[in-house]
Amino acid sequence: MTTALAQKKKVRINGCVASAQAAKYADVDVITAYPIRPYTATMIALAQMVANGELDAEYIVADSEHSQLSIAHGASSSGARVFTGSSGVGVQFAYELYSPISGTRMPVQMMIADRTLDPPGDFGSEHTDALSTRDMGWLMGWACDAQEAFDNHLLGYRIGEDRRVLLPQMVCQDGFFVSHITTDVELPDTGQVREFLPDYKHPYPLDPRRPVSHGPQIMPEQGPPLQLERARAMEGAVPVIEQAHEEFARIFGRRYDPWIEEYMTGDAEVVFFLQGAHGVTARYAIQHMRQRGAKVGLVRLKTIRPYPTDRVKDVLGRFAVVGVIETNLGLGSVSSGGVLYAEACAALYESAQRPLVVSFMAGMGGEAIVLKEFYWMTQKMLEAKKRGKIEKRTHWVGFED
Amino acid sequence: MPAIKVERQMLPMFASPNQGARFYNPELPQTEPFVPGHRTCAGCGPSIQYRMTSKAAGDNTILVGPTGCMYVANSSYLCTPYNVPWAHTQIGSAGSFTAGVAAAYEAMIRKGKWKGPFPNIICEAGDGSASDIGLASISGALYRNHDCLIICYDNEQYANTGIQASSRTPYGGMTTFSPPGKMVPEAKSLYPKDLARMMAAGHPHCYVATASVGYPIDLMNKVRKGLNHKGAAYIMIYTPCQKGFVYETPRSIDLGRLVVECGLYPMWEWDPEKRKFDYSFRPQNMRPVSEYLKLQGRFGHLHAEHVATMQKFANMQWKMMGVELPDALVRAADVKNVRDMGAAQAAEAVALTV
Amino acid sequence: MSTKGTHIPDWLAVPFAGITPAPSQEKGQDLFPTGNWRSTRPVYRDKMPPCNNACGTNEKIQGYLDLVKRGRYLDAYALIKEDMPFPSVTGRVCYHPCEQACNRGQYDEAISIRAVERFLGDFGQALPKDVVKAGPPNGRKVAVVGSGPAGHSAAYQLARLGYAVTILEKSPKAGGLNRGGIPDWVLPQRVLDREIERLLELGITIRTNTEVGKDVSWDDLKKNYDACVLAVGLTEPNSVRAEGENKDGVIYGLPFLRDIGMGTSNVKLGRNVTVIGGGNTAIDCAREALRQGAEDVTMITVERNPKEMPCVPEDLHDMMEEGVVLMHARAMTAVLGNGRVEALQLYPARFSGAVNASPILIDREAPAERFPTDNVIIAVGQHASLAWLPAEFKNERGTIRIDRFGRLGDTMFFAAGDIAQVASGQPLMVVNAVGDGKRVAFSLDRVLRKEPLQERMVPIDVITDLARMNMTYFPHFPRLKQETLLPTFRRHTQEEVIQGFSGNQAFEEANRCFSCGTCNACDNCYLVCPEPCIVRSVRSNGLYRILTDYCKGCRVCIEECPTGCLESVPEMDFDTGVVRMDTAFAITPGLHGRQAEELKNLADRPAKDIENWK
Repeated sequence: MTTALAQKKKVRINGCVASAQAAKYADVDVITAYPIRPYTATMIALAQMVANGELDAEYIVADSEHSQLSIAHGASSSGARVFTGSSGVGVQFAYELYSPISGTRMPVQMMIADRTLDPPGDFGSEHTDALSTRDMGWLMGWACDAQEAFDNHLLGYRIGEDRRVLLPQMVCQDGFFVSHITTDVELPDTGQVREFLPDYKHPYPLDPRRPVSHGPQIMPEQGPPLQLERARAMEGAVPVIEQAHEEFARIFGRRYDPWIEEYMTGDAEVVFFLQGAHGVTARYAIQHMRQRGAKVGLVRLKTIRPYPTDRVKDVLGRFAVVGVIETNLGLGSVSSGGVLYAEACAALYESAQRPLVVSFMAGMGGEAIVLKEFYWMTQKMLEAKKRGKIEKRTHWVGFED
Repeated sequence: MPAIKVERQMLPMFASPNQGARFYNPELPQTEPFVPGHRTCAGCGPSIQYRMTSKAAGDNTILVGPTGCMYVANSSYLCTPYNVPWAHTQIGSAGSFTAGVAAAYEAMIRKGKWKGPFPNIICEAGDGSASDIGLASISGALYRNHDCLIICYDNEQYANTGIQASSRTPYGGMTTFSPPGKMVPEAKSLYPKDLARMMAAGHPHCYVATASVGYPIDLMNKVRKGLNHKGAAYIMIYTPCQKGFVYETPRSIDLGRLVVECGLYPMWEWDPEKRKFDYSFRPQNMRPVSEYLKLQGRFGHLHAEHVATMQKFANMQWKMMGVELPDALVRAADVKNVRDMGAAQAAEAVALTV
Repeated sequence: MSTKGTHIPDWLAVPFAGITPAPSQEKGQDLFPTGNWRSTRPVYRDKMPPCNNACGTNEKIQGYLDLVKRGRYLDAYALIKEDMPFPSVTGRVCYHPCEQACNRGQYDEAISIRAVERFLGDFGQALPKDVVKAGPPNGRKVAVVGSGPAGHSAAYQLARLGYAVTILEKSPKAGGLNRGGIPDWVLPQRVLDREIERLLELGITIRTNTEVGKDVSWDDLKKNYDACVLAVGLTEPNSVRAEGENKDGVIYGLPFLRDIGMGTSNVKLGRNVTVIGGGNTAIDCAREALRQGAEDVTMITVERNPKEMPCVPEDLHDMMEEGVVLMHARAMTAVLGNGRVEALQLYPARFSGAVNASPILIDREAPAERFPTDNVIIAVGQHASLAWLPAEFKNERGTIRIDRFGRLGDTMFFAAGDIAQVASGQPLMVVNAVGDGKRVAFSLDRVLRKEPLQERMVPIDVITDLARMNMTYFPHFPRLKQETLLPTFRRHTQEEVIQGFSGNQAFEEANRCFSCGTCNACDNCYLVCPEPCIVRSVRSNGLYRILTDYCKGCRVCIEECPTGCLESVPEMDFDTGVVRMDTAFAITPGLHGRQAEELKNLADRPAKDIENWK
């Protein structure tokens, strides 16, 4: 192992390239691409790797995201390790395929670099594209930087391809904030990857030697057992995810809590609850606010599917006020803001100590959440704590006094 | 690791043992990749086609079934009649899923993850999938030239949803989305999409052909040619639908012959090497379209002028194939020489009362 | 964990993700039988092809044509030999009722069956050893009187059954009518000789120059043999009862041909020869007359035109080609001349149609016609010579009194051939005599084995309607003609007029056969079934099987059966006769669990052989 470790190296790359590197390290067999910003950069990088002979894979430029996902489905059904991805409306165009892929239990991996939907159709990051598919049976979580993105891809294959799980994965990163910001990323040795990630072997692929039929029609009474099995697989993924993160820490030396990252929460009274790249800016904002005496912390959700309900309940239950930073759109939803609020509240419903929960529509349209806004949001939470009551469920940050 | 060379299958053609007047089928493969015990209607044309195609392809085959009759009726209730791997895919994913399978096998064989000759990868798309919703995905697969065969089993309608018009439904064809009525006595007023020619024109590097269940050996040979062609191939196969066409079940094969003999289904092959259409297939007879129409309930409402219109359409197709028209067919395109279909007046009477 | 504590009952245990293991190729998808949708069922039922039915000896014509199609000449020859001892002879001389009955005649032109038969016959003649063997000896002796077609056939069949057969023939050479009634240029003697040799090879004894009533008595036959077949034929020519028939230059047809055939003829014909009669013998006589030196031959018939003449049209055609002139609707009433024929007296005449009275009406009111000629050959039929027959077995019409099995009372004597058939109205043709000989041999065998006699089977379903077959599969294709010698040349020689088929020609002509009503293993039903529920392990007629668990009764196979062998039978025995669609949705109990179980064991199953395309 020591000799192999010699190949370990640190590079400066952005999130998209980190994802591409992860696909290369995972030695994927089939890649399907269709251009849409910002995730395109991943496919550009992979195209070059295939062209250079660095990676032996079929690189298919599909005719749409729908085809992209269908190709991925077909390839995965045949027993190949598949990598695909998309952004924004592209994610939505392929919507039909999400349930069939998880329903046939094909561990397709999809990289998502978030982008707003149309309108406004700008290039900025909103999580709505991926979050809208959150209940389709895919494992899903956000990275906050390029290194985490790289690691999540390897973890995703390891977890999704586990015989106990066999589910597709959406490995998400914020468009621009992760995808296009260059940072230091440690690339592992291929030997380490091989130890962590065994070859993909679906138990019942489309193999002429052992013929099976995938996805036959069923009658109504046969539906529930199949759905129950899919639900079991999703829940059954929980220990597999924890085990995989342990293994990951052992082999690569980086330890992640698979569910939640807590930052300065030890004595915090109010915390932000969010996903993805805004966690990085939040850390700096919290340091800044702490210097002024605000007992504020950060709880970053790392895996939203399967949703760590009990962890969320236990963690968030410790605080007086929770401010959910949405970065997604849930029009007419529980909070009339985003969808994450409902996820947080639902987990807390059974908690003996229920904090006040407020939803912040911040970072929309791919705007950065600036320090001033963190102050504003912290102020709103502290006021609520003092008052013992929230002012209203949702605040549109930047549009209120 | 050095890439492993991908070995391709070369299936031999079925030689006709017929000499002169004899009728005798060539020796057929023993293998039966499509077995009985499925829920297709009695006399199902697509099912006949499925059987012939899979028999011609043999055991080293993977079938892809986009939504359609051959998914809904065949793979019912966790039963399956497919003795080779088969996968359902979405109705719009015909070409793309197939491409995924083909790409997977290219990569897996090359990388030593699967050993054996490259399988025949066949997509069996209905005309709804192939001509409408999945058109782009099929075009994509053909354009990218995956080593696969995409078949459009053309029953000229969306059948498993209860007979709706597709862009392959012929002029005059009655479906639940194109019913005849006072304002639209001919039922469907649009002409069918010339799907296969579109595929040949747009993807000239592919083997493209049309076939009909009326000519089984020709069909099976075209399937084998398509499979042997290294790269993508496309075959559009006429498969009558007893439920939608409304005919007596024993006529399934007969209609497959008549549609060709009436000039409504030109049979040809596109040669990707020479970049030329081969129109040399000649049916035994040439007949007026009414002989085909009269056997089917879906044309029962047609009036003489509609029949004449269809004859004009057929005559144009004959000309396209470079076939000289006999006088009888020219005359049959004149409304004076054509009669209403049997139920036309009845349909009209009903329409007037509605 | 919301799924904690959930359990899926056994009856709903689904396979992983619904992934379903492939069904067995042999059993089909046995979880989902669809046979109960069916209201009619396809059934293979071979019908009688019209050719087989029309043949006097019911040769399996369709059967051997089918074998010829496949190039299996030896099997075809063996099949024809079941019913026909000498295909080389009938292949030349038969009046081929099969071809008249051939369905292909309604479509384009009948199959040239006789030519194929001749090809097979000649093929058999060339074999160093015949395919037919004598049966294991059963210790019984049978005498066959006469070695013509009927005697030959009876002796042949009896030898195959294991009898020790002795043929008694009054002429110096065996062959009977085959030798004495058929000219050399139709049937060369060497061909017949070879067939006689084949009889000897079967262990049959032939005693020539042995005449019943002269050399052997009725009692001798009774005493020395277990049974006896009388196939003595009609040897005596009929007269036309004209004045002066005894004059020199008047010749009777049958003896004329017979003497030439036996090599004992001393006839010298004049320049002009007239033949009376319109049948096959008359035609043979006219054509033989040319070969015996006559320059102008005229044939006088009562029939009003060639179509009415009771003869084989091709032979008539060939005769006309050779220059024989026809004269119709006349009867000869007197032979004129001073001790020798100089002319004939003719009157207009026609057939009366009456059954018992004299069938010919002569119009003696009309002026008589004098027709000069040097010789007249009378060929108007023949009758038997039965002086040796005990009176009790004679009937009022001068033939043998037999029952419908050809048996003389309750004796061990049987009669076969023309002598038996002359009373039945059957055309007196070689093939009919052969058939009679065969049937009598079988009847005799049953009598000796003390088994009840079997009525001659009448086929209930002869397929004669083209609509019962699928003509789409048969392109129009002309009949292959046999080569013939040029008329100007052949009328002077004894060389065989009609030439045989080559192997390729026989093959090509047999290919035209529709196989009416009979499965010929064309595989069409097997290929077009949508289920597919028509299976076969080996491709062969009779080995197709319909899986009735699945057959939905669509009848595509029946419609597409080229030969009309498949037919539709209503499902009467299915419960109440009502087709219950709902049962089609009922899955075999235990389905889910079984599929789940099978999927689990998939990895343990042996891998399927997928390289069989090579």
